[in-house]
Amino acid sequence: MSMDIIDSNLILTIAAVGLMLIGIGGIVISNHLVRIIFGIALLEAGTNLLLLLSTYHPEASAPIIVDGNVPALMADPVPQALVLTAIVIGVGILALALSLAIRVQRAYGTLDMREVRLKLEQEISAEAGVEMPSSSHAPAGVPAAAVTAAVHRVTPS
Amino acid sequence: MKLLALMVALPLLTAFLLSVINSISTFAARWAGPVVLLVTAAIGLSAWPHLGDTPQAVQWGGFQAPLGITLYADQLALLFALAITIGALLLWPGRGEDRTEEHPDDHSRNRLRRASLALLLAGTGSGLALSGDLFNIYVFYELLTVVSYGLIAGRGTSGSFAATLRYLVISGFGAALALAGIALVYQAAGTLNLAQLAQLAPERLNNSQGFAAFVLMLIGFGVKAELFPVNFWVPEVYATASSRVSALLAGVVSKLALLIIMRLLILVFHQPEALTVLLVLGVLGVASGELAAWRARDVNRLLAFSSIGQLGVMFIALSIPGNAGVLAALAVAVHHLFLKPSMFLLAERWGGSIKGLAGAAKTSPLGAALFVLLALSLIGVPPLPGFWAKLLVIMPLLALDQPLYYFAAFIVLAAAALEANYLFRVVLTLYDKAPAATPHKAHATVDLATAVFLGAGLVAAVFMLAPLAERFDFIAAQATDVSTYIQTVAPLSLESGSVQ
Repeated sequence: MSMDIIDSNLILTIAAVGLMLIGIGGIVISNHLVRIIFGIALLEAGTNLLLLLSTYHPEASAPIIVDGNVPALMADPVPQALVLTAIVIGVGILALALSLAIRVQRAYGTLDMREVRLKLEQEISAEAGVEMPSSSHAPAGVPAAAVTAAVHRVTPS
Repeated sequence: MKLLALMVALPLLTAFLLSVINSISTFAARWAGPVVLLVTAAIGLSAWPHLGDTPQAVQWGGFQAPLGITLYADQLALLFALAITIGALLLWPGRGEDRTEEHPDDHSRNRLRRASLALLLAGTGSGLALSGDLFNIYVFYELLTVVSYGLIAGRGTSGSFAATLRYLVISGFGAALALAGIALVYQAAGTLNLAQLAQLAPERLNNSQGFAAFVLMLIGFGVKAELFPVNFWVPEVYATASSRVSALLAGVVSKLALLIIMRLLILVFHQPEALTVLLVLGVLGVASGELAAWRARDVNRLLAFSSIGQLGVMFIALSIPGNAGVLAALAVAVHHLFLKPSMFLLAERWGGSIKGLAGAAKTSPLGAALFVLLALSLIGVPPLPGFWAKLLVIMPLLALDQPLYYFAAFIVLAAAALEANYLFRVVLTLYDKAPAATPHKAHATVDLATAVFLGAGLVAAVFMLAPLAERFDFIAAQATDVSTYIQTVAPLSLESGSVQ
């Protein structure tokens, strides 16, 4: 009996950590903005599962007392409340991230994180009126005046 | 003392009511924000002397901890809650330039949005400072992060959107790690109430699981505190956001994240390895930040990198065990709290390249003089407060008599030399005889007045050194007194998580 509990908890924990690792991998390795955002979503899903597992017991029932009958084994409601909150926050941030990605795509014409980084760097340098710091990502020999053209203004809709 | 809950509730409530108020009276909507912040600041200030005797705990809804939600107020928490409230008031982003507005309707709508966000920032920031519960800390931290996305992107340039998105990616990553750390803590201790965690920590968290939880939370909350490996967003955001928002983020919000890490160290995590991690990351932060600032060619990024360096010094200070570490971190944090916003306000009109500032002292002599004062204090020239703050860090580092701590002290001193180099370069350019080709714009009166006000605070500190030192000593001693924390919150000794 207790072996089953250990096994199911172990499998679920491996799944949670695996989801987190896939998410982190997506954020670190991928260059496509939408994939990076999906990476965040996977990482959050894994974290939420880990949080639920912190007091998980397969036999436990809902902590509700009906007609004075106290269930022998009650699930801890705290992590469930926490996960609910975390999911709501996560969904909101995901929506915000996607809408920002749309804005960035409109302005820079790309969803590649490296290009976004480069264009952002160019825009900051052009606005400040300094040359780009020498960077391995920067194309060699681009004059500052040409970089100025990279500055976009986006009007709010 | 229940009134202290209003420091969180009032700004949040007003923020959401603002658009309703605006449909009734635009005049009322314009002034509602600053007035509410004034009221909450007054509430906080009136509670200050009481907290000197005994810290206070507020149980929301009257449920006793750990069942209810706890606010814990000692002078340390109140200091930072006041800092974010007064900071939001002084650096009120409701005013100031907006690049995209052309239509007057857009103008008032944008102002309304920024005012709402500033109120949310004050409310959630106060909540973060006063929270006595790990999950509340997580929720307020997330809210604070989302509010800062809005404030940064609110400038409406393509750069600000891209910078916000990159900031969002690293913040989302950090928040998930922090939550995983919280899961580990809950799994080990069965509670998230900080007072109860403080009771249980020596028994249940003084192991490798506790250490893993600490590292996860340090990286997670460290994103906002500009901690070394997770701070690439800093120069991008501070260069693209408006100066007032940069001033708020660098000056106040980063310190709130630092406060959380400080609290966790004092109450929950007592592993010596935790201090070593802090020390190493702090040293790397100082070295990388100051070197990047030294290489920077525009004012905004110079200030951003120097801010990373300063936060690194605070992490080094935190790694000093015991009371001295808290005292040193507090001193550097409060010094930076006054100094960095003032510098960002000056950078409002000096935002371009450093070369372009040649001769700017002629157009704004007061601004230039103030910059010299701030630079001297940042480097740590006696008798300015920056010197005493750095002394509080270096003396205990040397007293510990360990190679790693000696090395940290050396790095802090070397960083001061670098700071002197790059800041004097700016100062020399400001007082250059040959003016730059483009004429300089003088500072807006409000910006300059706010910057001078903050600078005057630093000068005043020179004359009140003894009482200030005494007060800081007291705050640090009060914050490190774990048994008072536990007794004040007085959590019921429930064995929660008993399903296991």
